[in-house]
Amino acid sequence: MKMAQNGSSFSELIRNAVEDWIIIPGKIIARNKRGLVGLIIALGYLFVGIVGTHIIQEPQSFTCIPYEPPSILKWPPSFEHPLGCDYIGTDILAQIVYGTPIVLQIALTAGLITTIIGVLVGLTAGFKGGMVDTVLTGITQIIMTIPGLPLIIVLSTVIRTYQPWTIGALIAIRWWTGLAMSIRSQVLSIKQRDFIEAAKVLGMKTHHIILREIMPNLISYIAINFVFAAVGAIYASVGLYFLGVLPISTYNWGVMLNMAYKQAGGGASVAALHYFLAPILAIVLLQTGLILLTYALDEVFNPRIRTEVS
Amino acid sequence: MDGSSSALKGYMPVLKWFTKRLLIALITIYFAVTLSFFVVKAMPGDPVQALIQMFVSQYYMDYDSAKSLAEAAAPFIPKGSVLHQYISYLISFLHGNLGVSISYSTGTPVKDLLIQSIPWTVLVVGSALIISFAIGILIGTGMAYVHGSKIDSFLAVFFSVIRSIPEYVVALVLLIVFGFHFKWFPTRGAYSPNVTPGFNLPFIKDVLKHAALPILSWVIVHVSGWALSMRASTVTVLGEDYITYAKIRGLPSRRILVSYIGKNAILPLFTSFMLSIGFMFGGSVFIEYIFAYPGVGNLLYQAITMRDTYLMLGVFNIIIVAVVISALIADILYGVIDPRIRRGA
Amino acid sequence: MGNERILEVKNLVVHYLTARGPLPAVNDVSFSIEKGRIVGVVGESGSGKTTLALAILRQLPRLTRIYKGSVMFHGIDLVKLSEKEMNEIRWKKISYVPQAALNALNPTIKIIDHFIETGNAHGINDKKLIVEKAVEIMKMLNLEPERVLYGYPHELSGGMKQRVLIALSMIFEPELLILDEPTTALDLLTQRLILDLIKDLHRRTHMTVMFITHDIATIADIADDVIVMYAGKLMEKGDVFTVFKNPHHPYTKALMSSIPDLTGDINKMRSIPGSLPDLINPPSGCIFHPRCPYAFEKCKREEPPAVEIKPGHVVSCWLYSKQ
Ligand SMILES: Nc1ncnc2c1ncn2[C@@H]1O[C@H](COP(=O)(O)OP(=O)(O)O)[C@@H](O)[C@H]1O
Ligand code: SF4
Ligand SMILES: [Mg+2]
Repeated sequence: MKMAQNGSSFSELIRNAVEDWIIIPGKIIARNKRGLVGLIIALGYLFVGIVGTHIIQEPQSFTCIPYEPPSILKWPPSFEHPLGCDYIGTDILAQIVYGTPIVLQIALTAGLITTIIGVLVGLTAGFKGGMVDTVLTGITQIIMTIPGLPLIIVLSTVIRTYQPWTIGALIAIRWWTGLAMSIRSQVLSIKQRDFIEAAKVLGMKTHHIILREIMPNLISYIAINFVFAAVGAIYASVGLYFLGVLPISTYNWGVMLNMAYKQAGGGASVAALHYFLAPILAIVLLQTGLILLTYALDEVFNPRIRTEVS
Repeated sequence: MDGSSSALKGYMPVLKWFTKRLLIALITIYFAVTLSFFVVKAMPGDPVQALIQMFVSQYYMDYDSAKSLAEAAAPFIPKGSVLHQYISYLISFLHGNLGVSISYSTGTPVKDLLIQSIPWTVLVVGSALIISFAIGILIGTGMAYVHGSKIDSFLAVFFSVIRSIPEYVVALVLLIVFGFHFKWFPTRGAYSPNVTPGFNLPFIKDVLKHAALPILSWVIVHVSGWALSMRASTVTVLGEDYITYAKIRGLPSRRILVSYIGKNAILPLFTSFMLSIGFMFGGSVFIEYIFAYPGVGNLLYQAITMRDTYLMLGVFNIIIVAVVISALIADILYGVIDPRIRRGA
Repeated sequence: MGNERILEVKNLVVHYLTARGPLPAVNDVSFSIEKGRIVGVVGESGSGKTTLALAILRQLPRLTRIYKGSVMFHGIDLVKLSEKEMNEIRWKKISYVPQAALNALNPTIKIIDHFIETGNAHGINDKKLIVEKAVEIMKMLNLEPERVLYGYPHELSGGMKQRVLIALSMIFEPELLILDEPTTALDLLTQRLILDLIKDLHRRTHMTVMFITHDIATIADIADDVIVMYAGKLMEKGDVFTVFKNPHHPYTKALMSSIPDLTGDINKMRSIPGSLPDLINPPSGCIFHPRCPYAFEKCKREEPPAVEIKPGHVVSCWLYSKQ
């Protein structure tokens, strides 16, 4: 990446940024089929999450016609209701669409916070060493021991929040530890190499050298971890809504699963399956997309492949 | 110096290492238990009020009967400052006393509830782990043998996608399809009410039938992880010089597969195998809730919905102890089975 | 010397089947080995030395083909033997010490088990017999058997591992021992020790040795005959005294000028300019011509034939061809 010189114009700066962040990654992703599919899926969800709620009407109970209580399998997929309606006559597609922003917000927050804490703790422990390292590593390892999912469940009942952002932060509490430990060990291993010693002798700033040396390796690792944290957060949050331990304010995939689960059994099973399938597919497709996206991220931040396409 | 003195080292370093490792384990347990105590204690609201609310909302009781039920539990709710409660909890924890439950037939010792539910979780988690590990090892080795082929790269993507599918989704699908639709397997509980628990064939059969879907749910999700790890590990081993040399020495392929590839590729997975035991304990909430399976996860779910503080802490601490102990055992056993660690490389 | 020839390699061609096409790693190589001699095979890394050794042992990787040639061992063509017949010869008659000495032993089993499994693989199931043999050879190699046998590979130093490998290759007292770069991974002192042990072993057992190395100085030290290989081709062969006194082939000369002089000043050591050609798309004519200081027009067009300029001294170079 070229640095903008004092004399260089603003437009040149923009051009470089576009080249670095849009054109090159675009070229790389276009070459990688899995990554491309992943990106398309992820963007699709983003689109639904941002725009969908403005296009599709908010789901309301008893809107599917004809409504005849409380019979089951009343509303198979139709033209007006592509995914059919649930057992109280609420359009399923609308529920999925209105559940999307929450899931995405939770995933995004959890990904961001996981990454920030993980990178900060990992870099600090690795760079400072000594007491700081011992304490940070100790804390991280203790947190790793506490059963993650149960901890999140209890914390969510302690905090009792409706806010997707807070829920994301809650979930992140457990997920940063792995990232922190692996960043720490990468810093440690690079610190030991000879050229760092040599640079020290030459009076260079060690931190600068290490950062410049490890960042190319770390960036793709961090980006992939971000996605994995998001995948983990989707898993945990939908699961918690499914268990019914998180307070509900709006439509939500986990709640849909829970409703379907409660309706399942006996003669209702077939109808339940129909109602099940929508949230299940919504989750599975999103997770699949994100996992496929990691294949592209791996290459997007790989310096060798970057120079190959540019 | 041409030689190694490590072979002659006595047992002192081993003992020292072990003491240190044990100390770290105990300290970890202490801090984790303390941390979870204060987190759980931070749950807002008056416990009796919370209990009343819970009875009303969960069991649709009228307020008065809920209130009388909750007040019956009141004597069992610890009083005093949080610090005071903490210290007395620690003391009784050391004596193996985990307090009493206020939600399950009020006043039942938490320890008894745990003793009833741990075997079920161990049954499901343990069998699932062994089955998925065994299958994963086989698939992973196979993938490594055809490493780089179309089928290998397809399976690699396929498994990494499967691995990201939540186990509750798998469990729900299995429940609906094989439980409710085909009615091949029971949908709730650990055994039917009409069999007599004990060491008799009908009971064992019934238990296995009940455990089948929970185990299968875990296996489906976990096989992929083991297969991918085994693949990576085997690919590394296949490239090692000692494999080529073993072939050149004319060793039979079965010997190479078992003591060369198998042993060296599985060893690195061993630690994560042990650690999984602890983590699956913690992750058993979803599956046990879905199949109403009376294990530790279900106990935790009940404890949380009922605000049963001591039951919650009991489950938490059991899981913490399980995680720490399985890590400890992993370290020790790893030293036994991997000669490089044993003699202090 | 007119001794019995125990191995005769004729026009051997070995191709690796790679994604880019066939790679001729050994290309039309012929030589013979006389009983009791130490034959050095020398050439830069990538010249096809290991491939040559593995081809003799018939232990090439799966995607390899021997396209032409024969390997006669006591008058039997090894290339034509069935796998079962080959198993009777491999390790018992011809055995091999691998190049990657430091990582050639299974880290999870004891040294003694390496001996036992090797014995078992070749039909010897008497544990005691195998261990006795192992102890005997290890003593010859200055290894303490009690300590080494019951240890694990990681507990041994590089020199000890190399000696264990040599011992492993000798449990059947083979007629021909192929040593593939037995000193490459070791420090100078240990290299010296291993070379002396090999010489000592040879003096005592009179076995025939094919000694592979990329270091021509070692050849001068240990070998009776020398074979110089480059890019899969034989460049020059003859007895060490003749070849070293009066090297003919430009590649041999270049290798020899890369030996540090007596002062041992490493900085003066010259490496040969340029690098090995791409064997899948090799240069035309003489394969050495892109790096050869003497190359002339004909070298680019036609491949030089191997010419025996003196009995036993063969050179493949247009400079010495009468055609
Ligand atoms: N398994 C293999 N597959 C493809 N090419 C190989 C393989 N092993 C060696 N080669 C190639 O064959 C040539 C000769 O290799 P090798 O016999 O190992 O040479 P040396 O032992 O002289 O270093 C090299 O160009 C090498 O890249
Ligand atoms: S044939 Fe020509 S190019 Fe080849 S070695 Fe001889 S002089 Fe050099
Ligand atoms: Mg070699």
